[in-house]
Amino acid sequence: MVGRQGGHNKGGGRKNENNKIYAHPLPILFSEPPQTSLSHKLNAFLGINDTKVLNPHCHGVLDVATRSVWVTDPKDVRILWTRGFFGKGDLSRSEPSWHARQVNAMKAAAGNYLTSEEIREKRRNERKQFKLDRARALAEAAAEAEAAFVEGREAVLPEIPSGATWKPSAQSAAPEPGDDAPPSADADEVELLEEELLEDVEHMQLTLQEAFFLCWGLDCLTILDPHTSQSLSLQQIWVSLQQAFGIIPSLKPVYTISPEEERFDNPFLVNYAVYHHYRSLGWVVKSGIKFCVDLLLYKRGPVFHHAEFGVLVIPVYEDPADKLSSPYALANADPMSWTWLSTINRVNSQVQKTLVLAYVTIPSSSHVPHHTLSSPACLNHYSVREVVLRRFIPARMRD
Amino acid sequence: MESHPSYKALSEVLPKYPQSAGSCFQTFNDITLAQQWTDVEVIDLPVISRCAFRGRRPKMDPLLYVVPCSLAESLSVSWFNEAFEKLGKPDQVYLAINTPDSSIVYYKLTPGIVKPPV
Repeated sequence: MVGRQGGHNKGGGRKNENNKIYAHPLPILFSEPPQTSLSHKLNAFLGINDTKVLNPHCHGVLDVATRSVWVTDPKDVRILWTRGFFGKGDLSRSEPSWHARQVNAMKAAAGNYLTSEEIREKRRNERKQFKLDRARALAEAAAEAEAAFVEGREAVLPEIPSGATWKPSAQSAAPEPGDDAPPSADADEVELLEEELLEDVEHMQLTLQEAFFLCWGLDCLTILDPHTSQSLSLQQIWVSLQQAFGIIPSLKPVYTISPEEERFDNPFLVNYAVYHHYRSLGWVVKSGIKFCVDLLLYKRGPVFHHAEFGVLVIPVYEDPADKLSSPYALANADPMSWTWLSTINRVNSQVQKTLVLAYVTIPSSSHVPHHTLSSPACLNHYSVREVVLRRFIPARMRD
Repeated sequence: MESHPSYKALSEVLPKYPQSAGSCFQTFNDITLAQQWTDVEVIDLPVISRCAFRGRRPKMDPLLYVVPCSLAESLSVSWFNEAFEKLGKPDQVYLAINTPDSSIVYYKLTPGIVKPPV
């Protein structure tokens, strides 16, 4: 088996590095003037706070079809990921790393060694082969025991492989890459050219909720129209994000909304209320699709520790008439069956996450005037309440 | 999206089905660039208002089918049945469930019960 090779990046070294790289929780930074300077002392005496806000002023492009904002500038991508874990590379599992991985794979193929992904595949295939061998040996042992019982003799049991003693057989091992031709100087040159020619086709993708939080909440992101590259005003962004969930699908952003389409139960508003709630409390909020939930809450970020909480967004209509007239079929708006809830709870308990039901109250259109929907101020009328779900087993949980 | 290199291969089907354009585009990118499938073809399936994909996984021979959809959609068994019919009744089809943060979760669907391998 491939043993874990310690490097200077393992364990404590990597933790310290992560603490340095991911030191800032948000893209905007605060710079404090030196405490001893005269101007600072004067300001402090007068009660003036002269801390400066350093804004990175990132840019992103709205993409209506994928309901997201794309960030392509490498500096902006790095800032948004390292300061708050915003966004995800669309060809990667977290931060955009597709180009680096492709180049690495090319180098590994030329240099005759395995990439870490290939090592992982090899380990998994070996484990699969071990399980097949073990299953076969167990079946043989059962058949032998049966036959011996029928014939009235002692069973001669075959050896059942265990994890410690099993070795992969020689012919089942996959051939090492680059076995046939050793790398030559020409191959190195060709490979360098290929690396340079390889266009980075990956971008970082922000959900509409992340983009709006950065743009309106922190004012550190400018969103551009995909066709004109003009920066959008807050009013245009506010309308186009709601229209991204519109009834009439479109591939272009729409900047006007009719009064009938402007509703409190627009999926963008409902989900944004919950996103903003947890982000403003300091949680790092990411997508929860891998665990059957809507959101995952991380205390510091995905690189530090697994998510502690999985959040299900459950919209609650203050006025049932709004639900009947709604063109949007909001998920989880109807009472949930016990089996479904149990399933989700089970999935999350298996991965040691606590399930949180976040009930979002959608204001009644008869109580709140319609014009509040023209600005983000309408978010004041939404409330989020949490119910934490844990399975209680009376026989085992006595303390 | 229109300026992305992958758009050319999808330029006929994406404007035809704007509702599923995002998930088709994301799935195509993931299959061709991230998962590195080969011989990828785009199949137009008007009956379920989207395109599907057929290709080969790296180092594997059989032709596999992928049908994209988005998390927000509500799908029915008859929807799957029609997709299976129009794709020529393959043994299995991968359903690619897309999310706005670009995560894709693949599920393998078969038309009937399948026994586990061992």
